[in-house]
Amino acid sequence: MNALIEVLIYPISSFILISAFYLQAQEFVRSMVIGQMIQSALLGFLSFVIGFAESDYDFFILGVLIVVLRAFLVTYMLERRVPREKIHLHEKKVDVAFTFLVNLILVVTAVFLIYFLIFRSIHLVPDIGSSTIFIFPLTLFFQGLFLIASRKTTFAQIIGYVEEENALVLFAMFLLPIPLIIEASVFLDVLALVVVSSIVVIEKFAHEKMEDLVG
Amino acid sequence: MLGETLSQYLFVVFLSPLFTGIFSKFKSRIESKKGPSIFQPYYDIFKLFRKETLIPEGSGILFRYVPYAAFGVYSLISLIVPVLIPVPVFFTASADFLGGAILFSLAAFLKMSAAMNSGSNFSAMGTSRIISFNFLAEGALITVFFGVSLITATNNPYTTHSFLSTNLLQNFSLVHIFSTLAFFMLFLYETGKIPLQSEGLPELGMIDSGLNFEYSGKLLAINRWTSHMKQYLLGSIFLNVFFVPWGLFSTYPLFLLDFPVMFLKWMLLIFIVIVIETTLAKLRLFKVLDYLATAFTFSVLFLIFSEVIV
Repeated sequence: MNALIEVLIYPISSFILISAFYLQAQEFVRSMVIGQMIQSALLGFLSFVIGFAESDYDFFILGVLIVVLRAFLVTYMLERRVPREKIHLHEKKVDVAFTFLVNLILVVTAVFLIYFLIFRSIHLVPDIGSSTIFIFPLTLFFQGLFLIASRKTTFAQIIGYVEEENALVLFAMFLLPIPLIIEASVFLDVLALVVVSSIVVIEKFAHEKMEDLVG
Repeated sequence: MLGETLSQYLFVVFLSPLFTGIFSKFKSRIESKKGPSIFQPYYDIFKLFRKETLIPEGSGILFRYVPYAAFGVYSLISLIVPVLIPVPVFFTASADFLGGAILFSLAAFLKMSAAMNSGSNFSAMGTSRIISFNFLAEGALITVFFGVSLITATNNPYTTHSFLSTNLLQNFSLVHIFSTLAFFMLFLYETGKIPLQSEGLPELGMIDSGLNFEYSGKLLAINRWTSHMKQYLLGSIFLNVFFVPWGLFSTYPLFLLDFPVMFLKWMLLIFIVIVIETTLAKLRLFKVLDYLATAFTFSVLFLIFSEVIV
């Protein structure tokens, strides 16, 4: 079982990480929405894998919730908000090279500092073995934050928020027992991601600089 | 060892244009064209050797002699990396993996200096473009080599090759997959393949052609030849150190089997590159940086993984 976990968990976690880089580099809103769907689906799949390894039904329930709420419902709500005639809706001036470099600096600095200072003594799901696995949720979390900070479109910011939530769930999934944070995040999914975000997206598509000057 | 050394060197020097020819032929056939002969790069080189060499007025000494120096640098690289024989040969001890990367950079720097020395505006334009892209490419290359050295705790490409060919599972580790991906992206960039196509004379894509713009006759022939060698060297490093490190022999007479083995490996690489070239569109010039940033990202992630996860 250990070998299966080792073989599956690391690649899935790194694909989640790569999907975060994909989101960061993406200009088109629809591609971002699809990107977050893939990220959430991978997260759900990872939950099933851990559940299978631990024979713990909680992880299966969590996996189903992630797939239903994030991979389908959030994607559906966001996709509905992309106007049909503007399928090529995109954010201007996404400088991929610059974004990646800044992102990498953040990732490397933050991960190494936090990992070496704080996460040495956390108790993990036994089959995972090493606390180095925390590099994935931490990196994802900072990427989510950076996505929100670096974009002006509300879509992108909501997707950044989903990414942060994904990071929290990923973080919590590696801990035993599943902490309260997961239940809170599922509640947040329904309330914030689905209800609030769909309203915010209609109300305000992008945050322009000029708005800051208006009283 | 002399036999192995000579085999490796002569193989790189004399057969590297052949792989370019095979690549062009196959690509043309896939595009439903007849295509040039697989020996066309040789015909071109022979033709250029017979042509008159024109030296532009106002060009300097670098312009005249750098093609020979670059040829020499690539000759040295062909002896220090496992491009045919999987054990060290003469001159291998002169540099390690990082030394090889620095020699690649040295050859590129020499060629850029020579192009600037020609006094042509077009060459200067090509050079400035290369320099503006290369800062990320070199960073990624060095990071990949750092990471490879972390896997095997040595900076010797032969040790890496031997380690990977004997430890099968290591080839499927996440760390190795990331490094292979990053190096392959760099291979496409350095050899100017689509989506980065740097050949051709359209102004916006004129990068490699810009460097050779003022060259003619014998000097151009040598420059073309060094390009073939560079492609072969990078491709063989990719094949032997990263992608398929198996199948090479080191003892006499078994090492003679390395010739067909390398040939088959190159057919595999050519097939992969052709699939990419015929399915992807060329990137716009200012998107090249994004591509290289992605390669750099992969290489840095690989570096983190190799240090933290393994």
